[in-house]
Amino acid sequence: MRAGLSTIQQTLTPEAATVLSQSIAEASRRNHGQTTPLHVAATLLVSPSGYLRQACIRSHPNSSHPLQCRALELCFSVALERLPTAQNAVAPGMEPPISNALMAALKRAQAHQRRGCPEQQQQPLLAVKVELDQLIISILDDPSVSRVMREAGFSSPAVKATIEQSSTSSTSHGHHHHHHHLMLCNPGQHPLTNRNAYLNPRLQQGITGKIGNNQRIDEITKLLEIMLRSKKKNPILVGDVEPEAIVKELLKKLENKELGINGVLNNVQVISMEKGLLSDTNQVRAKIKELGDVIESRIGIGGVILDLGDLKWIVEQQHQQQGISENGRMALVEMAKLLARFNEDNNKVWLIGTATCETYLRCQVYHSTMENDWDLQAVPMASRSPMPGMFPSNSLEPLNPLNAVQTPLSSLTRRVCGNVDPAQRTTFCPQCSENYEKELEKLLAAIEKSFNEAQPSLPQWLQNAKLNTTDAKIADRSQEKNQGVISKQKIQELQKKWRDTCLHLHPNFHQMSRADRISPPTLSMTSLYDTNLLGRPIFQPTLLTAKPVGEILQLNPNKVTNIPPASPVRTDLVLGRKRTESTPEKFTHDDQAKEFLGCISSEPKTKLLDKFANALDADTYKKLLKRLMEKAWWQAEAASAVASAVARCRLGSGKRRGGDIWLLFAGPDRVGKKKMASVLAEQICGTSLITICLGARRDDEESDTNVRGKTAIDRIAEAVRRNPFSVIMLDDVDEADVLVRGSIKRAIERGRLTDSHGREVSLGNAVFVLMGDWSTSNPKISSDEKKLASIASGSWQFRLIVREKSAKRRVNWQDEDRPLKPRKEAGPAGLSFDLNLAVGGEYDKTDGSHNSSDLTIDNEDELGLMNRNLCITSVPHDLLNNVDDSIVFKSFDTAFVLQEIKKTITLKFSMIADENLSLEVEDDVLEKILGGLLHDQTSLEEWIEKVLAPSFDRLKARLPPSDERSSSVVRLVVESSDPGGWNKSNGNGDWLPSSILVEQPNCPIPLPVSSLSLAVHTRSLRCSSLQRSLLAARRFRGSALQPPEDALHRSTHHTQP
Amino acid sequence: MGAIEAAHNVRVLGSGDTTVVLGHGFGTDQSVWKHMVPHLVDQYRVILYDNMGAGTTNPDYFDFDRYSTLEGYAYDLIAILEEFNVDKCIYVGHSLSSMTGAIASIFRPDLFHKLIMIAASPRFVNTVDYYGGFEQEEIDQLCDAMESNYKSWISGFAPLVVGGDMDSVAVQEFSRTLFNMRPDIALSVFRTIFTFDLRHFLARVTVSCHIVQSSKDLAVPVAVAEYLHQNLGGKSIVEVVATEGHLPQLSAPELTIPVLLRHIQHDIVDA
Repeated sequence: MRAGLSTIQQTLTPEAATVLSQSIAEASRRNHGQTTPLHVAATLLVSPSGYLRQACIRSHPNSSHPLQCRALELCFSVALERLPTAQNAVAPGMEPPISNALMAALKRAQAHQRRGCPEQQQQPLLAVKVELDQLIISILDDPSVSRVMREAGFSSPAVKATIEQSSTSSTSHGHHHHHHHLMLCNPGQHPLTNRNAYLNPRLQQGITGKIGNNQRIDEITKLLEIMLRSKKKNPILVGDVEPEAIVKELLKKLENKELGINGVLNNVQVISMEKGLLSDTNQVRAKIKELGDVIESRIGIGGVILDLGDLKWIVEQQHQQQGISENGRMALVEMAKLLARFNEDNNKVWLIGTATCETYLRCQVYHSTMENDWDLQAVPMASRSPMPGMFPSNSLEPLNPLNAVQTPLSSLTRRVCGNVDPAQRTTFCPQCSENYEKELEKLLAAIEKSFNEAQPSLPQWLQNAKLNTTDAKIADRSQEKNQGVISKQKIQELQKKWRDTCLHLHPNFHQMSRADRISPPTLSMTSLYDTNLLGRPIFQPTLLTAKPVGEILQLNPNKVTNIPPASPVRTDLVLGRKRTESTPEKFTHDDQAKEFLGCISSEPKTKLLDKFANALDADTYKKLLKRLMEKAWWQAEAASAVASAVARCRLGSGKRRGGDIWLLFAGPDRVGKKKMASVLAEQICGTSLITICLGARRDDEESDTNVRGKTAIDRIAEAVRRNPFSVIMLDDVDEADVLVRGSIKRAIERGRLTDSHGREVSLGNAVFVLMGDWSTSNPKISSDEKKLASIASGSWQFRLIVREKSAKRRVNWQDEDRPLKPRKEAGPAGLSFDLNLAVGGEYDKTDGSHNSSDLTIDNEDELGLMNRNLCITSVPHDLLNNVDDSIVFKSFDTAFVLQEIKKTITLKFSMIADENLSLEVEDDVLEKILGGLLHDQTSLEEWIEKVLAPSFDRLKARLPPSDERSSSVVRLVVESSDPGGWNKSNGNGDWLPSSILVEQPNCPIPLPVSSLSLAVHTRSLRCSSLQRSLLAARRFRGSALQPPEDALHRSTHHTQP
Repeated sequence: MGAIEAAHNVRVLGSGDTTVVLGHGFGTDQSVWKHMVPHLVDQYRVILYDNMGAGTTNPDYFDFDRYSTLEGYAYDLIAILEEFNVDKCIYVGHSLSSMTGAIASIFRPDLFHKLIMIAASPRFVNTVDYYGGFEQEEIDQLCDAMESNYKSWISGFAPLVVGGDMDSVAVQEFSRTLFNMRPDIALSVFRTIFTFDLRHFLARVTVSCHIVQSSKDLAVPVAVAEYLHQNLGGKSIVEVVATEGHLPQLSAPELTIPVLLRHIQHDIVDA
């Protein structure tokens, strides 16, 4: 054996050999017949290096209970004492031979060591020395050792994992990562060769999931075996890694009877212990008694498993009060009694529970008899999380194999989420970094020293970690790692200190480095921003060499400055074969390039484009046109032009690229343009129209306070930024100043808008509608619009009345009233077309709107043509050429529009009521309708459908019998509304009345009060501005409670002076 | 074992002595390379993969910690390379992945022959001395918008980034892949992208880098390409392509792909 021993000693590194001989000495001191792994473990544990001890502590880093290691030592010494002493006293000086188990462990260690060093495989076997960590790992694998460890509440696999972990981190990564996996794989564990070091841990879980499952099944069978024993049959799973999960799984399987074990465990029931068992002294006894009753009631079926859960509850309150620990003790005793009671005759009650190593240890310390009383068996769970070569995402000190080599980088990337100012990160000037380096060394030395003092003689392998490189820094790193977090913090402090110092002492350096960083880019940037860049592809096809081999791009940094700014790219890129190129070759290159381009770009894109076009044609265009026509039907041509322009642009075949669309609406019809723009907004973007006025403010726009202090361009930029997918109407572009026009023009060209702060905003998919008049049409037209607005405002209502068809009376009535009407009052500056002439001739016809319409349309067309010519000539060319499309709107022709309204209404009436009955619509009524339409959101059709048609229906029911109808006429008249209806006209923006009064059929015919009141109302308008009319209206409202005659009287009285 | 392969939807196409690895950027998946792949497979072995969180990858694998930095993506990349026994490759990375490649090349320079970076940026947020193209508040706004309504955010963001109109195929495609991401993951990735700052690590990149940049890119100003060129530790070369948008390989393949192929085929020559 002696010879054997020396051979073995040779296979070990000096430290390992020392440990071995110390163990042998210990065995001989204890007079043991053999040296066993237990001796080695005990030696390791008490050895001054304390490496194993540290590993044990670290294996459950949550606790630093001083009792733990004591317990461990005790357990080992007890175990050693139990070992048989040598039968026939070994001769003094004769060392106890190495036991088979230890020999096996040593051989295992040797095998691991060899496998771990692939580069040494060629060397003779003896050259491979077993290092201490390998020895420890092998020893921990020994069953007897791990049993003792388990008794002490430690899990040897966990300890082993800790050791492996630290040895991984102490090894340089980059070059030999395979080496670790192999080295760290233990035959005892599932050998996972070829584990990918860079794998996502979650993925890893997925991979190990299967293995884990196997492991789990193993553990579950182990638990079952324990439970089937007669003694120590109550398993407590001890470990830090989710022992609960295994318990849960086991219980589930038992409940579902998945396990297929015959006999005892077949019909068990599970009772979970309540957490609050120990909360109250008085309750403990009662609760346990209760528990006993429950068990009793259920035990008949087959058995009861009492799930204790985490044993923490037994010991956790120990520190608080003695009283509570008394509770714990009482609970223990009661439970023990309970168990004894049930298990006396039949072993049908089981306990199962979990604990962390710490908890279990505490249980052992505080309730030393618990294990026996409760018949517990601790089942250590191997910690599965710190797999070799993995990246634990949440461990205190991330095991990052790259740390050793790439420290700053990992700090970089890890820090990214924190708000560390990048400029602050370790950038000192050379001088300071030298100083920093020095101080760092000192600091590390100091830390090391203090570390060594605390733990004298750090094992050698720890001091010079197995590194292939002798880089001092790396060594520092690995040491730092081993020496824990403190040193890390200190280093950080040091870094910060030097950073600050450096910033103070050498501000120039920091500025310079900044300048360094910024100046070169700006220098060459000017060339890169050359406008030519945007216009044409930079690389001419000739550069597109398709020759596969031998060619290489050439980098010529020196050239940068020499190149004319117009061709920035060539500054960087020169073909490797530069001077040899000849013309024919160029040709082939060209061809190849073309071929290339052709095959890439051709098929899929065009096809899809067509598809899109069709889809767009079918849906968007039609829908859009329909809506446009509804809202601004008097601009039919413009509407179809707008719709097709939008469709074209959105297909990408507009003048320019990019998602933004620019349309120009020219012409005097503000209302029509605006209506169409809002239809676009609603249809394209589903939002409301954003209006930004570029010209002088109009009084009809509400003054927006947040507009103040911002230029129009800023407002546009803001609108785009807020929603890059919107329709923005830029009103009065014709009135905009040169600057604004300039930036809009640039924006159109570039697809980006620069605001007054110089910030650029991409125009995204916004649709811009540039609006302007640019026509020289008579100002009367726009004044028409204003007038219509004032007509529509105020308080009024419509009423349908039935009259006898009597021209005279009607005329009389009209004569009476007409001079008072606002239209008349407007005089020559009034509406451009006097409907009465045509209408007058028509009145006696039953269905007579056709004749006059010819006239008006002709008239209209002439006017439109004139306007159009005017528009085109006056719109600035630069705008006209840049926008995607421009649409010219005809001038708003009141007469035509009124006529159209009348036509539509009468048509509707004849459809609903009676085609033989004629409907008379006064043009003041029409004007009001129009005025309302222009300002309302509703379209004419909508209003007719919603308001007018129902009233026609109601009227129809009240009409005289059909034979009398020919002699009557229905009139739509306007009247001032009663007070209740007043609010609606201005209040919610509804300009058109939402209902129409229908005359009572049996009502006496004579002049109704309402027409009188109309007269009064209009009279008051005559003397007046809008303000006056409002005043008058208010008076009406004020007099609401009085009889109408009286009201009439009063108001006449008031207005006469 | 195929776990990596399955998790990242790794596809290996074509054959050749040289391996080209294509890494997609934020909001896309490997389909972003569809125009490119047909031109590579005859000559190269092409490896395509999805970043974790993108495409059809299992969102459960998306570890918010791991992917809060580019390191996580870099590890993934190296893991894939190891898994497929790639000992040297040409890496083509777009946007986020171009920087992933850069970091991976710092860790394992041995694995990379060269990097081709499309629309790469070491930092998106402006600082006093650096123009990344974004102000912090803009990023915050984007993040807020993203949190409040992911879908509508996409409809606004996609056209901006791609530089096309909402109906363009490229935008539709980008929106599709972007919408594939689980919103919380997208937000996390988005935050990661806009918080990282790799400027100080460019010098550690020793592998030669080919920087391909759109002349008009909302996310990455051309100045950034120049910055990379100036600051990368190894050889580098910049080519600005007259395309628009952050995904030129998708939105303007006819211009971009010949350029990329040229950079894949040729190396930078020492002057």
